[in-house]
Amino acid sequence: MNSLRSRLLLIAAAIGLSVFALFPRPTKVIEKKPDGTRVETTKSLWPLKYGLDLQGGMHLALEIDESKGTVADKKDALGRALKTIQNRIDQFGVSEPVVQLAGDDRIIVELPGIDDQQRAQDVVQQSAFLQFQIVDKSNALEKSLPRLDAAVRSQRLDVAVGAPTAVPGTTPSAAAPLSGLLSGDTSKKAAVGVVGKADSTKAAAAADSVAKDANGPITKMIQPGQFAGQYFVKQTDVARLSRFLADSVVRSAVAPGKVIRLGADTIAGAPGQGAYRPLYVLDSKPIITGEFLTDAKPNSNPLEGGYIVEFEFNAEGGRIFRRETGRHVRDNMAVVLDDRVVTAPTINSAIGRNGQITLGGSGLQEAQDLALVLRAGALPVPLKVADMRSIGASLGQDSIDKGKLAFGIAILMVVIIMVGYYRFSGVIAVVALGLYIVFTLAALAAFGATLTLPGLAGLVLGVGIAVDANVLIFERIREEMDRGKSSRLSIDEGFRHALTAIVDTSVATILSGAVLYQYGTGPVRGFAVTLVVGVAASLFTAIFVTRTLLLVWLDRTGGTKPLSI
Amino acid sequence: MLRIFHNTKYDFIKWWKVAAIATLVFMGIGLASFAVTGGVNYSVEFTGGTLVQLKFKEAGDAGKIRSVLEAAGIRGAEVQQFGAVDEFVIRAQERSLVSQQAAGAEKVADRIRVALVASFGESAFTVVRKESISPKVGEELSRNAIIAMILVSIATLIYLAFRFEWRFGVAAVVATLHDTIVTIAFIKLLHLEVSLTVVAAILTLLGYSTNDTIIIFDRVRENLKTAGKDALYNVLNRSINDTLPRSIMTHATTFAAALALLLFAGEVIRPFAWVMAFGIFVATFSSIYVAAPVLLWIEAKFPRKAASGAAARNASGDKRSSAVPTR
Repeated sequence: MNSLRSRLLLIAAAIGLSVFALFPRPTKVIEKKPDGTRVETTKSLWPLKYGLDLQGGMHLALEIDESKGTVADKKDALGRALKTIQNRIDQFGVSEPVVQLAGDDRIIVELPGIDDQQRAQDVVQQSAFLQFQIVDKSNALEKSLPRLDAAVRSQRLDVAVGAPTAVPGTTPSAAAPLSGLLSGDTSKKAAVGVVGKADSTKAAAAADSVAKDANGPITKMIQPGQFAGQYFVKQTDVARLSRFLADSVVRSAVAPGKVIRLGADTIAGAPGQGAYRPLYVLDSKPIITGEFLTDAKPNSNPLEGGYIVEFEFNAEGGRIFRRETGRHVRDNMAVVLDDRVVTAPTINSAIGRNGQITLGGSGLQEAQDLALVLRAGALPVPLKVADMRSIGASLGQDSIDKGKLAFGIAILMVVIIMVGYYRFSGVIAVVALGLYIVFTLAALAAFGATLTLPGLAGLVLGVGIAVDANVLIFERIREEMDRGKSSRLSIDEGFRHALTAIVDTSVATILSGAVLYQYGTGPVRGFAVTLVVGVAASLFTAIFVTRTLLLVWLDRTGGTKPLSI
Repeated sequence: MLRIFHNTKYDFIKWWKVAAIATLVFMGIGLASFAVTGGVNYSVEFTGGTLVQLKFKEAGDAGKIRSVLEAAGIRGAEVQQFGAVDEFVIRAQERSLVSQQAAGAEKVADRIRVALVASFGESAFTVVRKESISPKVGEELSRNAIIAMILVSIATLIYLAFRFEWRFGVAAVVATLHDTIVTIAFIKLLHLEVSLTVVAAILTLLGYSTNDTIIIFDRVRENLKTAGKDALYNVLNRSINDTLPRSIMTHATTFAAALALLLFAGEVIRPFAWVMAFGIFVATFSSIYVAAPVLLWIEAKFPRKAASGAAARNASGDKRSSAVPTR
């Protein structure tokens, strides 16, 4: 029985390989500590990859956002953006992230196990375009306010906004809310406020139309800040002001060579006063940008508490920075990240290669993230989210548990049906079914395929469909036995006749699976893979394993006994 | 030996008219439902839009969630209890909302969250699932789903034409088409949500139904060789009867698995399980009452040139073939 032995050896080898493929092995995983940092550890894990819908995580598809200007060479820009995102994700710390181009116009990012979606999305999507711009000292805003107001009116941006805060009579005068706003360190900051006021009156004298137009749509929202070029806007007015400033006609009314930028953080006002947002007028040409950065790292702020990000320029950047800061000593320099002013300290002396950004009131995690995106570099183009799915880890685990239960119950019912109907042969079919499951899982693990929820459903369904080949064979064997043939002959004939139908159905299923794979996305692809792998495993177990087991039975009994089928 | 439906001699095809009326009535009801209540319930994957699944600490109230969303200006959002009393799914698919997502798909989901946090508090619930799809991506996904359906049909047609002959291929594809329409009517009548997973279920079902047809046709091909003067009508009936035990067994095990999914695998996969459980009946039905009569009709319309097969004789003579559509 040489051939029988080689058959059994082959099956044993297949089982051995499968067990090897499925054996838990040390896997690098990244764990999140309670303080939010991530560390890489090694764990012994079952080597079956779960999709995002089972283990939880986030899927993002990003496209170039062309609302902020057209992009000439999209493909090139997207390729560079991909590298930047890859860089950031690598440093962010996620087990087995996916960052890839999809088609010509999209970047897919998959972050398994991420539960803090907002943070992850920020890290991916933040442009991280860092600029250092000198704050305007020439009262450019005051001078251009009349033109700004006129532009807003001519564009009719101020109509159809019936916000109650816009009632002219209730608009506070420049100085009054300022003293209320600076509740903490009143004496010092109020003094600054007075300076600001003095500045604005001087400006009013220079262009006397300002005073006449105190109710101008922009003028009435703006109050002087702590130094020239800084202003405050009520948090409730920020959205409206941003809308005005987004208009191209209004933008062009700003003094030439200057830009208006909002601050990144709000400042709490006195109780009952609401929050304020700083607004800056800056030289539009930055003295330096983030492209010269070589390193950035978070640190705690030894002087004022809170956190800072320390950065370092390369040699060339250091030269430029020293020269420019030397030229602007005593001026304020705004650190502008993605068109928002993070901080605007006074330059005390020329700064070389090393500098720092003071973060107002942010936590360690934000400092870490900022350092990370600065290190990884700016995105060459702004990106927007085209499609985002996220699933909590608990829901994923719930799906796995329920899927397992359904899987077990499906197996149980199929075993009852098969053994109840085919008796001894049914037991053989059940053994083949067991091997089918082992082989399918092993193949999924070996090919690095991802098991998704629809895939899991496909696996459960597969238990029912996989026995079809066995049923076809057994029914054929029965027919041959009905014709009075011996067990051995019936088995041979049964397999021979059933084979064409089994192959035809398998090919048809594999064809649908291939189409599904080609045109499906994430979870459905997982389903297609499970389907095709299942069909292949079922072909092997039903045709080869079942036959071998029947041959063993024939060998044992000598082929004289009628087969229990 | 335990046997079921062994050596049966049912005249299945005799009932083709009754079967045709039954299936047409079902399709008609489905169609009427389309006319009365609009199209099927597409998931956000296809329409673009936002889905947010929430788990509350304690039992929630769909009405309250709805009014909170309305107050926040998120109009037309559908709020549904999802399985347990503390879980809810919010679907925002209203066109005006979806179009806002063109500028950034996550915007509406963020607004929903902010509105709910403002009125229920940060710790009252967790967002366990979130899908934000821009209208553009939705269009692409629906186009791909339709392409997939058509390609599966074409691939099946070509394979069957290659393995059998074109008559069988056409008959099998007509049966597949029938299955698709009936399943869509079923989805509509049960108000199931058509998601990518459900499309996958439909495609699986089409594969399963084709398998069933192939098994019978394989028998037909085999029986034709020994049929002699017997008409195709009789050969088909015999083949269906021959494969009956197999059909019953396979449908039983597959149905058992689908039932396990339906009852135990949870809410997310339930539409998939419904389609599969129903599909098993459709597949069985169409293999016998769609594929076989269509094959007979094609044979009558386009008789084989070579008189080697029994089929050619079917068109004329045999009395029983009058029960077959010959137009």
